[in-house]
Amino acid sequence: MGEKTTVSVLEGNNFVVSDLRGDIDASPTEALGLFAWDTRFLSRWLLTVDGLRPNVLSTDDLDYFSVRFFLVPGTGTIYVDADQSIIRKREIGNGFHEDLTILNHKDKAVDLKVRIEAAADFADLFEVKDKLTKKGEFYHRIESDGLVLGYRREKFVHETLITASAKADIDEHGLSFAVHIEPHGQWTTSLDVVIRLGWFAGNPQETKNMQWDQRATSNVKRSLEKLSKEVPRLSCEWPSLQVTYTRSLVDLAALRFYPLTLSGQAIPAAGLPWFMTIFGRDSMITSYQALPFASELAIASLEALAQRQGTRIDDFRDEEPGKIMHEVRFGEMTAFEERPHSPYYGACDVTPFFLILLDEVERWTGNAELVRQLELEARAALTWIDKYGDRNGDGYVEYSRRNKETGLENQCWKDSWNSILFADGTNSRLPRATCEIQGYVYDAKRRCARLARTFWNDPALAERLEKEAAELKRRFNQDYWLEDREFFALAIDGDGRKVDSLTSNIGHLLWSGIVDEDKAEAVVRHLMGPRLYSGWGVRTMAEGEGGYNPIGYHVGTVWPHDNSFIAMGLRRYGYREEAARVAMHMLEAATYFRGRLPEAFAGYRRDLTEFPVEYPTACSPQAWASGAPLLLLRAILGLEPIGENLLVDPAIPIELGQLELLDIPGRWGRIDAFGRGRVDTSATGDRMQPGTV
Amino acid sequence: MSDTTQAFFEGLAKRGYEPLLHSVTGTIRWDIEDAGNWYVIVDKGSVTVSRDTAGADCVAACNREDFERMAVGKQNPVTLFMQGKMKFAGNPGLAQMFQRLFPDESLSGAKQG
Repeated sequence: MGEKTTVSVLEGNNFVVSDLRGDIDASPTEALGLFAWDTRFLSRWLLTVDGLRPNVLSTDDLDYFSVRFFLVPGTGTIYVDADQSIIRKREIGNGFHEDLTILNHKDKAVDLKVRIEAAADFADLFEVKDKLTKKGEFYHRIESDGLVLGYRREKFVHETLITASAKADIDEHGLSFAVHIEPHGQWTTSLDVVIRLGWFAGNPQETKNMQWDQRATSNVKRSLEKLSKEVPRLSCEWPSLQVTYTRSLVDLAALRFYPLTLSGQAIPAAGLPWFMTIFGRDSMITSYQALPFASELAIASLEALAQRQGTRIDDFRDEEPGKIMHEVRFGEMTAFEERPHSPYYGACDVTPFFLILLDEVERWTGNAELVRQLELEARAALTWIDKYGDRNGDGYVEYSRRNKETGLENQCWKDSWNSILFADGTNSRLPRATCEIQGYVYDAKRRCARLARTFWNDPALAERLEKEAAELKRRFNQDYWLEDREFFALAIDGDGRKVDSLTSNIGHLLWSGIVDEDKAEAVVRHLMGPRLYSGWGVRTMAEGEGGYNPIGYHVGTVWPHDNSFIAMGLRRYGYREEAARVAMHMLEAATYFRGRLPEAFAGYRRDLTEFPVEYPTACSPQAWASGAPLLLLRAILGLEPIGENLLVDPAIPIELGQLELLDIPGRWGRIDAFGRGRVDTSATGDRMQPGTV
Repeated sequence: MSDTTQAFFEGLAKRGYEPLLHSVTGTIRWDIEDAGNWYVIVDKGSVTVSRDTAGADCVAACNREDFERMAVGKQNPVTLFMQGKMKFAGNPGLAQMFQRLFPDESLSGAKQG
């Protein structure tokens, strides 16, 4: 891992990335700035004292919403004992608030010229990534109390307002302070950087009536405290698990995104800082992982996604009636339809997943009201599966993008363009029906049959869905099974060919239950075998496949969220030891990242590197990686809601010793789950019998 | 000219019940430049239209040309909002749901990628 050179504070989709001094000096290669609504509202924020930039002593960013920078004035030469100290304390809000304090350590008074240079390029996140030029005009205005930096394109207006509590000389490039400090005295000013969106009626710059415009710090602090009180308490003889558990919860708290259209409810965003927005897939998968711990995330995700469910055919957005959205963005390029994210619907797996999550929420929480409230949306999603998901009428759901220019080529979770490869390394053709999507559809239909019968008063629908699911399972086990290699094809492609690489997708098939019992043993053998299993987890693609690359994004790396689903799948088919092994190895990997699993790590064999090599992704934490330890805990404790009760059936790795998860909330009130580690996870896959520990 | 706007709201009134809004209750007021104010009252999917109801949970304002483009499905409401050409006050969730009332099919193929 490289030396850390930036510091972030964040709240919702509002974040500041600065250097270790607290300065922002954005360049094409350094994505620093104050960002909100996918737009950079501040690209320059430089502190100088007597014309020199300070040197950093230390940076204290213990929590997400505030950071302190301890600095000394720059000398321009080598370090000498400083006569002054500078402290910048920054808190995120609607923009940010910064307290700038200078302490004079000398016994005589000092006069200093303090200056903050400021500029805003109002770049869309897409522009920051792709280095595009702006089409509108920039302006600035000096108001009585501050400096306004603005950008206008037709009626699209964004502004940044900068004010100071101390007297300042304001010019278009910043604020200057003539500072006099008495012996051993101090000087302080607060600086407020406020974002103004031109989106709302009345005074278009006021956002006061909207719920995100509260002082964010107290919000975050309060909700973190509330969260830690309400989630189950964990105790474990293996102390690293406590670290990972706490890390996951804190990260998930920081990853909460508050959609404007929900009154104050939060959903998991996908990743910090660049993916702080609603993603159909990431938001729901994380919500699913977190269900036993914080079910409100899943409820809010379902509601937010239901609000944005597709209602029309729109090629640009890959939208279809009943389809659940993939990603929403708020920047200028999205506004002017230069990008399709308003929202973009290019995901094929999320519509069945929406139905799975709806049922799973009811199983955990007993929230029948939600199931009735979303009946229409659920039915529309079911219709989408058959009418639009199954594009060629072969009974399988496949994807192909409508938007050929900026749409996604692969609309499954492995959404890089080269993820669905044949064993010889060649690419498959669109439309692609990846295997795990068929599993999700199977599971979704079975679950919706239950919902139809229990809540929608529609036994005929229930019967039809059960019949369709059974038929899908029967056909799938024939059509996708590779007889000679004894696993399921990754996909069936546009030419009707079985895409024959061995991949982690087969683990999702266990999770969804579509695998015939007599094929499960072979699937598990592959998952736990040396070609797929790295020692840290199941690789996305097996060693030896033509496309395999241990540092290829979806063709060889190990993904924690993927493995958490695989562990659940192993449990579902009775492979308790294997599930415990996957869980233990992933939890061991987490210890190398101080409890924060990365989105992915390299697929190198464990005995080759001895530590997990992080895949360099843009975001950390990533929501579904933070959610993975939670789902792994569920897997090893064997937590399953059965009617009004929670079934606890532990299969815990020996290394963990005594494991207790207390006060698990659900329709049963609160229940404790505990067990003792008895599974030897060092075993090598020779014993492949389900069900015995 | 203003017939498009009028026809849109009259069409809404005629629907009576709109299943897509089955979970929605609230009043949205449209302030359309040169075409006046329109209130759409939704009660669990039952839709009524009025020109002189007091009080709204959500106000949306835009000019007539833009509204008419939405009313015939030629303009996406979300991007119109994001471009700053449609302003909102009040409950954004209601505004989000209201866009389901704009025509479905005519956007089809409008933006061939």
